[in-house]
Amino acid sequence: MKEKSFIPYLFVAPYVIHFLVFVSFPVVFSFFLMFNQWNIISPMKFVGIQNFYRLIHDDQFFKAIFNTIVFLVIHIPLQIIVALFFAVMLNQKVRFLGFFRAAYFLPVVVSGVVVTILWQQLYGFESGLLNRGLSFLGLGKIGWLVNPDVAMPSIAIMATWKNVGLYIVLFLVGLQTVPSYLYEAAELEGAGAWQKFRYVTFPMINPTFFLVLVLSTIGGFSLFIEPYVMTGGGPLNNTLSAVLYIYKQGFFYYHMGYASTLGFFFAGIILLVIVIQKKFVEKESR
Amino acid sequence: MRNIIIKKISIISICAVALLAFVQLSCGSKDVKNNRKLLYWSSNNTDEITWAREIVSEWNKEHPYDPLQFQPVPEGQSSEEVILAAVVGGTTPDIYSNMWQGDVELYARAGRLVPLDTLPGFLDFLYKRCDSSVVKEITSTDGHIYQIPWKINPIMLIYNQNMFSQAGFSNPPRTYSEFLEAAKKIQRIDLSNGYVDRWIGYTEVVVLWWQRLFDFYPLYLAASGGAPLIKDNKVAFDNKYAVETFSFLKSLFDRKYFPRERLSARQDPFLGGDIATRFTGPWEIIHAERFKPEGFNYSFSPLPVPDDFKGNAYTYGDTKNIVVFNTCKNPGLAWEFLKQMISHNGDLKLLKITGQIPRRKDLTDDSEFLRYFSERPQMMKFANQAKFVKGPDTCPVLKEVFDAISQQFEACVIYGKKSPAEAVHDAAKQASILLLQ
Repeated sequence: MKEKSFIPYLFVAPYVIHFLVFVSFPVVFSFFLMFNQWNIISPMKFVGIQNFYRLIHDDQFFKAIFNTIVFLVIHIPLQIIVALFFAVMLNQKVRFLGFFRAAYFLPVVVSGVVVTILWQQLYGFESGLLNRGLSFLGLGKIGWLVNPDVAMPSIAIMATWKNVGLYIVLFLVGLQTVPSYLYEAAELEGAGAWQKFRYVTFPMINPTFFLVLVLSTIGGFSLFIEPYVMTGGGPLNNTLSAVLYIYKQGFFYYHMGYASTLGFFFAGIILLVIVIQKKFVEKESR
Repeated sequence: MRNIIIKKISIISICAVALLAFVQLSCGSKDVKNNRKLLYWSSNNTDEITWAREIVSEWNKEHPYDPLQFQPVPEGQSSEEVILAAVVGGTTPDIYSNMWQGDVELYARAGRLVPLDTLPGFLDFLYKRCDSSVVKEITSTDGHIYQIPWKINPIMLIYNQNMFSQAGFSNPPRTYSEFLEAAKKIQRIDLSNGYVDRWIGYTEVVVLWWQRLFDFYPLYLAASGGAPLIKDNKVAFDNKYAVETFSFLKSLFDRKYFPRERLSARQDPFLGGDIATRFTGPWEIIHAERFKPEGFNYSFSPLPVPDDFKGNAYTYGDTKNIVVFNTCKNPGLAWEFLKQMISHNGDLKLLKITGQIPRRKDLTDDSEFLRYFSERPQMMKFANQAKFVKGPDTCPVLKEVFDAISQQFEACVIYGKKSPAEAVHDAAKQASILLLQ
């Protein structure tokens, strides 16, 4: 019988240790925390389902979830439309193609904090560049970050600008897999540019489309840096995202038990949405 | 066969290394325990490090058999976070200066601090140093004292003298009406586009609990003669002073005398002439002296008060205190060191080296302190204000209470969605629930 070697275990050990310490343990510990009250420095106190009771009465958390959904509703379609548009443009034979592709991808690799600070300057009410431009055109000022109704759409626009480069690349990959003979056949049938896009391109990039949809959804649910840096969740809590609220509960007020409860609840919502999307993707792919 | 030999050798080697490490650690920890010096952490402000090094070096010269080890608080996002991490990890120093007064109750309740009033001579020393009102202010809800009042940064109104004199004012505004009148004259609107490009002042509009320590809270203390927000673990701010403060601030935002946009990412709006005043502390002097443009004149005055207010305006003191953690093996020795650290000479050195004001009652009576302040007229204003400062109230959920106030501040003061009375009442209601938990 062949002697079992322990050498392979040594090779997988770094990842396994990392996974156990930084993934499994926090998840198990957070689950345990859901039934406790703990402010880090005092001993834990078992509180049963008190954290769940607090959650269902926490209007601010449900407002944060609502805000996140508002963000997703604006951000996902906008991101897909813009990314698809630029991907189609960049799939043409144009000069300086490499430059444009790099330029659109640049915001993706820039730090989120840097991007938000930059946009904060653009969005300034009295002195921001955008309002200066509107004023120059004889239009009224917009309270990009100070008007409670406009702040979340403003953040969605900024997030789109930041991430669109990644989705352009994904769509480009999808577009380049469409065989040219399909376009030729469509042309022979007398199809115009729009018809070629609608009946050839779009069905062929369907898998990419749904990949982008799932990635944007997951990214959108984790909205944090933008409201944290730009608005702190205001005005009037209208940009308070669910993740920001959980972070505040955990690391501003040290309500670790409650933050864990919120975290698990929110993870459940994300899971539900992803499962629905998966079902939808499978149905569309058939 | 070869594999079995390798396996055995490896297991033996690992066991040997583990055994050696265990023996080494055991002996090492014994040594550390026996010869461990008391460890003192100061803040990581450069001037304060210089001061602390000097104080510790003096102590070590005088006490060669009980030397102290000093280091600034390790780098982190904030010293509060570092201290919290140290408490959780059990790696706290024996002594820590620069503890925000509002955090002490939390650590005290968790049993992480030494009750200093149990140390011989502590109370006598404290009453010689501070007024009884200060002693009352720092006394914990369990009746013990876990902190030594150390230094303050009173929040005052800095104002651009040139701008005020150009607007026809020879003195800074003292009351709300005077402030609003000055604001009207100082506000500048660009007629070409209708933009306001100069305001009387600015305060951070983001809903962060600690921002209210620099606008609402000092103004509330000024209006109320130093009234508490929380008293005996009950809400005490559902009163006319809080409503007056909200109303005043609301007027400033409603009339666009304060901008609703964030100016913090731009160049200093005060030194740049975009705003004429700011609620700030003595740290502003060093900054202004270093960066002010030529011909820029500024001064400080107490915070504005309601028109019918009589007496001296209190303010928030941004109090930083000293604590001894319960990991300290020799609290008696720590106390001996602290007596020297905050003695008359220690405090005078602190003032001279760091420009920070010690919290002691003889600040404007003692000749040496007085000489220092007389030579620095701007600092003299803070020294005079020092008699009328308050630290944060003793409350384990203080941050949450300030957050509740901050939420209502935004709804009422900045966006006008609620009346001041309604906003104050709602904040008080929310704070009451927090205090019950």
